[in-house]
Amino acid sequence: MKVKVISRSTDEHTKERSQDLQRVFHNYDPAIRPQEKAVEYVRALNAAKLDKIFAKPFVGAMDGHIDAISCMAKNMNHLVGIFSGSMDGDIRHWDIASRRTVHQFPGHQGAVRGLAVSTDGRVLVSCGTDCSVRLWAVPISTAMELDVSSDKSVEPLETYVWKNAFRSVDHQWNFDRFATGGAGVDIWNHNRSAPEQSLEWGTDTVISVRFNPGQPDLLATSASDRSIALYDLRMGKPTAKLIMATKTNSICWNPMEPFNFTAANEDCNCYSFDSRKLNAATCVHKDHVSAVMDIDYSPTGREFVTGSYDRTVRIFQYNGGHSREIYHTKRMQRVFCVKFSCDASYVISGSDDTNLRLWKAKASEQLGVLLPREKKRHEYHEAVKNRYKHLPEVKRIVRHRHLPKPIYKATGLRRTMIEAERRREEKRKAHSAPGSITSKPLRQRRIVRVEE
Amino acid sequence: MAETKRKTRDDGSRQRSSSKKPKTSKKGKSADKAERRGPRLPNALRKELDRLNPRTADSDEEIGSDEEALGQDLYEYEEGLPEEESKKNRRFDPVDNLDYELPEDFEDENVSSDDDNEARNGGESEADDEVKEENDGRRIGEMPTQTVEGRRKKMNNVVVSEAYPESEYNPTRDMLEGEGALSIGDLLDPLQGKHGYSKLKKRVRILDKKSTPIQAPLPKPVQQRLERNAAYDKSKEELRKWEPIVKRNREAPTIYFDDDRDLGPSSVGTIASEFEPRTEFEKKMASLLYDDEVMDAHRKDGSRLLELNKVSAEDEKDRQNRIAKMRSLLFRHELKSKHIKNIKSKTYHRLLKKDKLKANSLQSQMDPEASKELAMKQEYERAKERMTLRHKGSSKWAKRIKERGLDVQDDGTRAAIAEQQHLHAQLTRKMNSMKDSDTSSNDTSDDDDVDVNSDDEDRASKLLEKAKEKTLKLLNEDNEVPNSGVLSLPFMNEAAAEEAKLALQEYESWANQLGDSGGGNPKVGRPSGRMVFNGKDAPESSKKTKSDNKNRSDNYYGDSDSDSEDDLEPISISQHGKYRSNELMKDANISPVLLHEDSENHKDSFFKQNTDGSVQDPGPQATHEVSIFASGTWRKMKNGNDANANANAKKSPAPLQSVELDQSVQEPVKDLDVDSDADSEGQMVDGVLSAVPEPSYELPSQEELIRQAFAADNVEDEFKKTKEDILNEENPEPEKPVLLPGWGQWTNIQKKKGIPSYMQIEHDSAKKKREEALKQRKDANLKHVIISEKPPNKKSQNLFTQSLPYPFTSKEVFEQSIRMPLGPEFNPASMVGALNRPEVVKKSGVIIKPIEFEEVNAYEKLEGHKKSGQKHKKNRKSKSNSNSGKNMTKLKTK
Repeated sequence: MKVKVISRSTDEHTKERSQDLQRVFHNYDPAIRPQEKAVEYVRALNAAKLDKIFAKPFVGAMDGHIDAISCMAKNMNHLVGIFSGSMDGDIRHWDIASRRTVHQFPGHQGAVRGLAVSTDGRVLVSCGTDCSVRLWAVPISTAMELDVSSDKSVEPLETYVWKNAFRSVDHQWNFDRFATGGAGVDIWNHNRSAPEQSLEWGTDTVISVRFNPGQPDLLATSASDRSIALYDLRMGKPTAKLIMATKTNSICWNPMEPFNFTAANEDCNCYSFDSRKLNAATCVHKDHVSAVMDIDYSPTGREFVTGSYDRTVRIFQYNGGHSREIYHTKRMQRVFCVKFSCDASYVISGSDDTNLRLWKAKASEQLGVLLPREKKRHEYHEAVKNRYKHLPEVKRIVRHRHLPKPIYKATGLRRTMIEAERRREEKRKAHSAPGSITSKPLRQRRIVRVEE
Repeated sequence: MAETKRKTRDDGSRQRSSSKKPKTSKKGKSADKAERRGPRLPNALRKELDRLNPRTADSDEEIGSDEEALGQDLYEYEEGLPEEESKKNRRFDPVDNLDYELPEDFEDENVSSDDDNEARNGGESEADDEVKEENDGRRIGEMPTQTVEGRRKKMNNVVVSEAYPESEYNPTRDMLEGEGALSIGDLLDPLQGKHGYSKLKKRVRILDKKSTPIQAPLPKPVQQRLERNAAYDKSKEELRKWEPIVKRNREAPTIYFDDDRDLGPSSVGTIASEFEPRTEFEKKMASLLYDDEVMDAHRKDGSRLLELNKVSAEDEKDRQNRIAKMRSLLFRHELKSKHIKNIKSKTYHRLLKKDKLKANSLQSQMDPEASKELAMKQEYERAKERMTLRHKGSSKWAKRIKERGLDVQDDGTRAAIAEQQHLHAQLTRKMNSMKDSDTSSNDTSDDDDVDVNSDDEDRASKLLEKAKEKTLKLLNEDNEVPNSGVLSLPFMNEAAAEEAKLALQEYESWANQLGDSGGGNPKVGRPSGRMVFNGKDAPESSKKTKSDNKNRSDNYYGDSDSDSEDDLEPISISQHGKYRSNELMKDANISPVLLHEDSENHKDSFFKQNTDGSVQDPGPQATHEVSIFASGTWRKMKNGNDANANANAKKSPAPLQSVELDQSVQEPVKDLDVDSDADSEGQMVDGVLSAVPEPSYELPSQEELIRQAFAADNVEDEFKKTKEDILNEENPEPEKPVLLPGWGQWTNIQKKKGIPSYMQIEHDSAKKKREEALKQRKDANLKHVIISEKPPNKKSQNLFTQSLPYPFTSKEVFEQSIRMPLGPEFNPASMVGALNRPEVVKKSGVIIKPIEFEEVNAYEKLEGHKKSGQKHKKNRKSKSNSNSGKNMTKLKTK
């Protein structure tokens, strides 16, 4: 007779060290686990709820300015440092970790409208309405010296006074040049007191200038004639121009996709463009209820943050039509500038209430060092949530946000208006000869023309 | 810029010169025109000649001067060369080279426009017409069919390119009209026969053939637009190189930004080497450590170190003194702490006492000897207290407090007083209860005597009598007790009396019955009368009262003690086990009814005992409880007595009884003997065993069993009914048409007419519809099945999506995408990581730099990331299943 005995190897069933986890053997046959989907659905639901419970995005506020903050610049070489300029001409260097001012850069007579840091993080460029461009040496400071240094103010390296007031400045990636926007676009060099090159297309004021970080010779500007223009410094010429129905307040290139940029528009939307095909936006990002004032891409290129005149900060997917997240506090006023931190895990916003605010990019993220098992758990929760995100209950929980009343109302109002417009259009179409009325898709609707 | 301008000007001039050629080759007007432009010709030509034959060029120095200056930075070393050499030299064909060098965007029109402007400014007024004419002439070759009007029109567009004002070199109209215009040929004629002439002629001819009419430069905005377009195309072209990288990143299920950077020194050595002394102390240490002498000594050998290490005797002495001082201090400190450790507070001692007491009690529980001792001690104390009445409040302290009034005292004192009073109350209560228990114990001890000593049958009857007596007495007592309240009312009294009588009657009849079943044997009554409890209770009480039958009770005490420790079951088992053999005989003798009751009583008693046991805490309280039990629950005890007596009865020697048993009764006993030896206990307790077992029992068939079980209820009908209900619920029957009753004369009319036809029709159609719906149900032909066709309820609704989610195009694909579970319970550990990996992996604190260009081969299979595995990403998968395999990529960043 054959006797079947359970046999187990001792190697598999003994722990090598006392700290080792006991190995658990599973039979992965799906037939013996008929409830797996149900179990995972419930887990997804719980994960969504937990996310809501732990969603505490606000890390802290940095106060010190005595006027509205107009611009910020992040130091690409230093994670905890950020510069902010305010409307009274004050420039401050903040230590995000301790949320204190490390240095001050006094000198501007009027509002500071643009800040930029060189790629190596040594030079800070500021410009403002006092028609001057100032270069500052960024003092290298460690946390140890913070307490010791009593004199926080820094003298400018250079001060270049030019003809017109400046509205914005941006530094070229990896080179010594920076571009200012004002009456025109000027390309400057660190070592020259006058612009190397002046580019012009049209006569209107340039509101924002951004260099392409991937392709450092490309430059995008937006101007008050509702235009977005592209420049190529290798040829020293403007290349393309696009006129939209409303003004674009800010532009940001996608750092991981050098031909794509997103424009923060006055009409509450953001428009992503492929710089090679300007006749239609690749994506329209809707959700804000007032003009979008500033935009900044996450270094991962997968999402961007926008600050709006409606007192909120939103985070969008690079290809998402609606925002993934909305941040607001009772005390935060009109947001004029936003930045993503260099490690893509924080968002900093500067607003009218003279404060910089630090937010987590992922509201429910656990800060600090995570154990591998914790990390795995979080990943699993995320994955499960992602899988069942289409089911109504999960969707509802994930999408739910408490909004300030004015924003909630404005959202509703906007929705009705858009809906009414759509219906009107539909009716007009229905009551006129077929083909006589054509409606443009949303991605083209706000584009007036592309100039060559 | 200036440079390029120069180049282009040069270029332009060359072109102009070349454009002359066709005119020379042609006859008539065109040739004339070429001649008319003579004055400029030398300029261009001179250059040619200059190149080929420098000597000729020498002649007009002044004209060429600016040209030369221009040429200087273009062809720097031409000047330095001797003329002979430059003559042969054809390597610098400037025009051709420039043509190739220039990028597209440096178009001719662009820069030559400067010239145009010049021309316009300078000689527009005079030379306008001529130039236009000239242009016309040039264009003739191109567009011979053009009409005059067309030409005129064209002229407006054409930009005049005449760089020179009117002069002898720039002839007026009549000169142009004239016959004597010069041609290149004429100019070349004088050179005939000279060195290089043939070459020059050949070149000129070639140029003539090749040349085409020059385009007029475009207006500035148009030019700029073109430039921009070109630039835009160029930059678009540039951007195209990013496409594969971006595509790869977008399609990758996961992108990584957490590449392991060098986050600083890793080893202790590197950290140590980078250490810099900052504080005073550190600096001092460093100065000593890195002292040159010491370093040298280290490097050489130990002998020098020893020298350096010398310490003076005084220093050593000092050091020793210091150490000694420290030691003595330490010793004193130790002593002190030891002393402090020994001093303990009052509370500490109180707690300690309590703990000790607890430990003692625990010990007593475990050990009978100890417990006995403890009990004795307690008894002694109690007696002492009774005598002294120490806690009655008669102490000086208590009296004083009473005098002063309790309200004035602080909390602590009040608590102390309260405690004392409580203690006293406890004591007095104990005294009372002790009296009771004493009596009972006396009683029981008497009983016990009887019980143990006499094992004849009379004992049973005696007991029975005793019990009867007691019951009667109790009944009487009951009668007597209530003097007030509801029970004291007369009718209540009556009722009670009646009840008592009834009970008595019952009892008697029961006794008779027993007698009958026992074959008239008076002994059968015995079991109900005997009480084991006595045996158990007695020792406890006797021990407490130090009764004389202590020896025996010790035994029992041990027994009961062990019992009380255990649970209900073990007790029963032990008891039964003890008397098993007897029981068998006994049980056979007893009727099932009796046994049942008996066992119930038994259980009760056990329960009581058990509760007592569990409550029973050694120490003062425990004894108190026990005494209460002894006194207060007399009735309960009696019950217990009954029961236990029963059990005890079984103890009586079996052989004696078995002899007296009838034959008929013995048979079942044997049966029992066979099967019950092992499992009798539980059954005994339940009283099941007493059911008369059938010797030949056949199991009925399953069907029969079911029929029997469900004999009463009609399942099928019920099912039918429920099904009908459900059907009605899901497809409700149409309501019967009803008329609203009219009034007055309408009632009659209504009656006559009956229900209006439309109602009837409606009703009929609804009925038909319902029937059809019923027929179409899935369970229409299934008799025993109900398939609910209710619309899905809200809960299950939550498990479905309302519409197909965005990237998916078919339901199947979507379902496929969420088919496989993700969790660690359902997947092997090697898979879980890959399944759950997020789209973006990044480390907080690691700076992510913008993308950097790298060559990507779109078709190559990327070698997987070290963590690679299959990541099931829905939207990708739905599009292309093949693509989502091992597309793990690592982003290269600057």
